Amino acid sequence: MAKIKIATAWLECCSGCHMSFLDIDEAIIDLSKLVEFTRSPITDIKKFSPVDVGIVEGSVGNTEEEETLKDLRANCKILMAWGDCACFGGVCAMRNTFDKEEVLKRCYIETESTYKGKIPCPPGVPALLEQVKPVNQVVKVDCYVPGCPPEAKAIQYALTELLAGRIPVLSSEMMRFD
Amino acid sequence: MNEITLTINDKQVKGKQGDTVLDICQANGIDVPTLCHFKGLTDVGACRMCLVEIEKERKPVPACTYPARDGLVIQTHTEKLEKCRRLILELLFAERNHLCAYCVASGDCELQNLAYQYQMDNVRYHYSCPPLPVDSVNNYLVIDHNRCILCGRCIRTCNEIAGVQALDFGHRGWKTLVCADLNQPLGESSCISCGACAQVCPTGAIYAKPSAYKGRPVECTKVHSVCSLCGVGCEIDALVKDNRLVRIDSPELANDRGLLCHKGRFEQLYDRHNRVTGPMVLNSQGELEACSLDEALNKINKKFSELKSHPGNGSIAGLASSQACNESLEAFRKFMADTLGSQLVDTLDGDEYRVITQGITKFQDGAKLSIETSLEEILKADTILLAGANPLESHPVVGSYIFRAVTKNGANLILVDPLRNAFSSRTSVWLKPPEGKEELTINALTKAIIDKDFAKDSIELKRIASSVKGINVIQATEEAGINTDALYRAAEMLAKSQHGIIIYGKGILRYRNPELIMSLLNLAAIAGSQDRGKPRTISLKPKGNSRGAWDMGLANSQNSILNSITKNNVKAAYLLLADDYVDEPRLLDSLKRMEFVVVQASYLSPATSIANVVLPSPTWAEREGSYTTLDGTVKSASRLLQPPGGVKQDWEIIHKISKALKE
Repeated sequence: MAKIKIATAWLECCSGCHMSFLDIDEAIIDLSKLVEFTRSPITDIKKFSPVDVGIVEGSVGNTEEEETLKDLRANCKILMAWGDCACFGGVCAMRNTFDKEEVLKRCYIETESTYKGKIPCPPGVPALLEQVKPVNQVVKVDCYVPGCPPEAKAIQYALTELLAGRIPVLSSEMMRFD
Repeated sequence: MNEITLTINDKQVKGKQGDTVLDICQANGIDVPTLCHFKGLTDVGACRMCLVEIEKERKPVPACTYPARDGLVIQTHTEKLEKCRRLILELLFAERNHLCAYCVASGDCELQNLAYQYQMDNVRYHYSCPPLPVDSVNNYLVIDHNRCILCGRCIRTCNEIAGVQALDFGHRGWKTLVCADLNQPLGESSCISCGACAQVCPTGAIYAKPSAYKGRPVECTKVHSVCSLCGVGCEIDALVKDNRLVRIDSPELANDRGLLCHKGRFEQLYDRHNRVTGPMVLNSQGELEACSLDEALNKINKKFSELKSHPGNGSIAGLASSQACNESLEAFRKFMADTLGSQLVDTLDGDEYRVITQGITKFQDGAKLSIETSLEEILKADTILLAGANPLESHPVVGSYIFRAVTKNGANLILVDPLRNAFSSRTSVWLKPPEGKEELTINALTKAIIDKDFAKDSIELKRIASSVKGINVIQATEEAGINTDALYRAAEMLAKSQHGIIIYGKGILRYRNPELIMSLLNLAAIAGSQDRGKPRTISLKPKGNSRGAWDMGLANSQNSILNSITKNNVKAAYLLLADDYVDEPRLLDSLKRMEFVVVQASYLSPATSIANVVLPSPTWAEREGSYTTLDGTVKSASRLLQPPGGVKQDWEIIHKISKALKE
């Protein structure tokens, strides 16, 4: 049987969900017999190709992230969101109660350690969106694994369910938002 | 009580007339999710989590406000209802900024728990992300409007349990916020920081600063105990983690004695003073120096034996703070009486003891402190006279009881106080005599009741009438600078009351005038009280265990021993301060004149700085023992924390000294 192809992406996040995935420990050996990781921060392959499962960590806060997410969605059959940022906006969404300009000024000019700061602007860097969004407000998402980060066992459960051909829904006991 | 029968989820259940559908579900173990409901508060149906389907109702209705009737057929967990509940949760999360990862309540949040229960792994709606303020002006409490779901529990608690009415909804529609007073910051409002709102808040919208991020309930051990800070003796549930107090909650907030105050709930969580962590003795340079317990005990033994063996050398006085528990105080009493054979024993609040008991004796020969009424009586009162006391400072829970009687029962509040306090704006009549004229005012009230023939015929009446016969109400009010009409109005309220009560405190006790206490009891006795001659009065005693210390006879019934140090040739003193911080100048001056002072205390204070030997004492949280409330109930407190190494229980140290002296 051909291996299931998986692509992962991290958007606006801390990479904690990918770390939590690596925390499934030795189960990763069995998993690697069944799946193949194509484009992923873990493989360092940069370009998406068509896959069975797309996994996304992080929320959408700038144009590049929006583009990456749409690219991933276009290339995958099932899209799974990992972590609070992808599911709800998470810590990144803290900035949503402020204006974008306020946020940039605070960050690049007013920070206590900044001397003669300058706000970076496109095309050098991607432009910030007005608000940080969870991924389901940009593309269709098929399943969610919330948590900050999700526990390794929740990630493992979700992957096992997918491999068994089911759309995973976390039980109440596995749910966590922090 | 009419029994009714309903069908819930195809099963027959019974309830009684007057129950809501939610009451019956809960009584029958049917788990209906709730958010705005809180046991003991009026239900308002704000959150809609408890929606149920009732046959012949056109749409789902909230179970918490739906009066149960005989024959109702109810479904609580249909697919439609479960969908509604999940939708409500998503809307609540989308309405404000409920991002759990950086919320103080995460792990201890009813909204989060319900979201877990309903497997809410995403929100289908766009977040409104409103920029909302965080009010952190209050010393202890923070209101974070970002986390608020407008369930209104805090508002109902402030109104119904605390009786303060500081909180309410402000603004309209989606701009609605929980506001204090006229949208003042909480710390500048009439809020008394009792913290009940933080306890009932289902999310992280109102939280206590000293507990924030110190530990989640699941990581803590819960210990049931009693607060010893004042004589109300509130029962508490303390959450402890790693030998640190994380949070203090009320075990049953809606109970009569369920409310806590800012001192009991929050002050205990701070370490305000430096601890005495081990024994210390005064060295030759005149400085306190750490030493072993044996060394300290030897020094005490040597001095006390010397004084004890030659009575002419001088005597030893014993002073205890009524902050200590009954067991320590009893050990201290025995030590002074049996081991040292000294009669010179008193409590630091002995003056208050003498004035209250002498006043009671003047009122009725042979009567004791037990003549006073219980605190619960305040909640039933229809007229309250508050004289020379600000319970919100000294006994805040008593202050809340008064507020509750005023707001719930519509009780008349009469204030006799030269000073403005939080009650001044809520009184029916404020009699404001200049300092020193309180007795005249009280007697004028008594006389006014008698003059107007308001007083019911009683055996007491003749005696009381003769005690005020020299008073002319008009002249008295002029002399005291009080409006005569106001005084008559107050007199009428007292006379016509069915359940009058008089509460007095520091402002009355400071005159050390038993006549004044007697006149208050006289007034209470003729003021429409139903049990004739049994006045309803409560004295607000100064310390947490005053009543306990006084009941065991530790306070000197005659004189303050401090006043007669020279006469009694007092050369040494033993002070059991426990966790009381003592800096009273008069006491310190007297102590300085002695040759040898032993201070047993938890904290370094001006009192320890004049000691020859300092012995460590556990704090309230570190000791196990019983306390007597100001109305005479004995309650036992558990040990919440382990004392620092080397700190022994007070009675243990006293036994050690006693044993050494006997050898």
